[in-house]
Amino acid sequence: MSSNRPESTETDATPCAYTEYRSADGDVAAELPATGADATGLESDIWEALYEIEDPEMPISIVDLGLIYGVNVAEGVATVDMTLTYSGCPAREMLTEEVEETAAAVEGVDDAELRLVWNPPWTVDLVTEQGKEDLREFGLSI
Amino acid sequence: MATSDFSDPENLSARERQALESLIKRLADDEFVLAERYTEWQVRAPTLESDLALANNAQDELGHARLWYDVLGDLGYTERELVYERDPAEFRHSTLVELPFEEGDWADAVLRSYLYDVAEELRLEALEDSSSPKIANRVAKIQQEEGYHREHAQNWLERLAEGESDSGEGHERLQAALDRLFPHALTIFEPCAPPRDASDASGDEPRAAGSDIEADIVDLGLRTATLEELGEEWLAIVVPYLESLGLDVPESGQTGDGEFEFEVTQETLPDERGRDGTHTDAWVDLYDDFTHTYRELGRSEPTKIMETPE
Repeated sequence: MSSNRPESTETDATPCAYTEYRSADGDVAAELPATGADATGLESDIWEALYEIEDPEMPISIVDLGLIYGVNVAEGVATVDMTLTYSGCPAREMLTEEVEETAAAVEGVDDAELRLVWNPPWTVDLVTEQGKEDLREFGLSI
Repeated sequence: MATSDFSDPENLSARERQALESLIKRLADDEFVLAERYTEWQVRAPTLESDLALANNAQDELGHARLWYDVLGDLGYTERELVYERDPAEFRHSTLVELPFEEGDWADAVLRSYLYDVAEELRLEALEDSSSPKIANRVAKIQQEEGYHREHAQNWLERLAEGESDSGEGHERLQAALDRLFPHALTIFEPCAPPRDASDASGDEPRAAGSDIEADIVDLGLRTATLEELGEEWLAIVVPYLESLGLDVPESGQTGDGEFEFEVTQETLPDERGRDGTHTDAWVDLYDDFTHTYRELGRSEPTKIMETPE
């Protein structure tokens, strides 16, 4: 799967320079979109597993869609920071549960916790180059 | 002004907790109840586009209500308790959002959306630097979605008011809706509970805590503007705009020099004000409607789209 990943140099989207991102909802990754390209060990394994999850409506990995803001493992417990494209997303439970379970099922992970974060808000700029390609193939203009 | 630290919800004082809860319930209840009303237009709006637009706005507002109710999760509340099993008398939304639509009165839906969305924008601005990181972190996402609502409302207002000056049907309907809705719109800026020395006992048991909750909300930095300031800003935006459409605004609050003063008197407000727990009869009906299926099916928790996979 790692061959599908965009290189880190392709991350052309940056969070708003004028907004101070706070950490009480979770430490949001400094650079988005996050793809886990630099992750190692268990964290890398979790990114690989999350890559397999597709958006419910479009054939695109939720990682390439830019929904995963960060993955951290401490003492066997994985914490996944994730956002949704839309506050009223009807697939919220379905998707967040799938992510949590997928992360927890990775060998070596004892438990997984999902933190839903909203800052910085998701925009289409967070879709990776690979994701844009997938969406174009699906018939969307992006 | 941020004199309090809300980043650790487990260690809030009673005063902090009450201020947070009072603020969030009003934000969330407004969004939730407005969404419930909007959905009545589904498959009934005048055009396919407007139908989809209003249904989408309703879904946005439901999403925002959920973002706000989620903040109360830190205080131990669940969605079930906050929505489906809460006593209707414990809801604290402005009466603007609970009023029923007269059948086919699209002007009402459009004007109500405008009056609400301008207030919503100002309120969100005043939450950007909230001392509660959880609140502050949600603002940008909501603002991202709210921008479309006001654009949609203004597009329609301008079309309905256009030409005909005072004689077109659209114009007449807008004026009637404005006369009806404006006093209720003012309740958005009513304090969330009576002040310390108030003689009547409605509200969130403010005297039990011995504090003025609305003042606490600002003093603790949860919101960085007072309701009076928000109300004045709101008047300074909506009054000139509505007048530019040829509408007469009932109580403009405008002083001689063109400034706006938010001087709401008892006479300008409706009897029921929402914020203090008083509601119109329409609210009880709406509450019965949206909890009907929940009660009918003997549910004990909100449904999910699918079962949790094994």
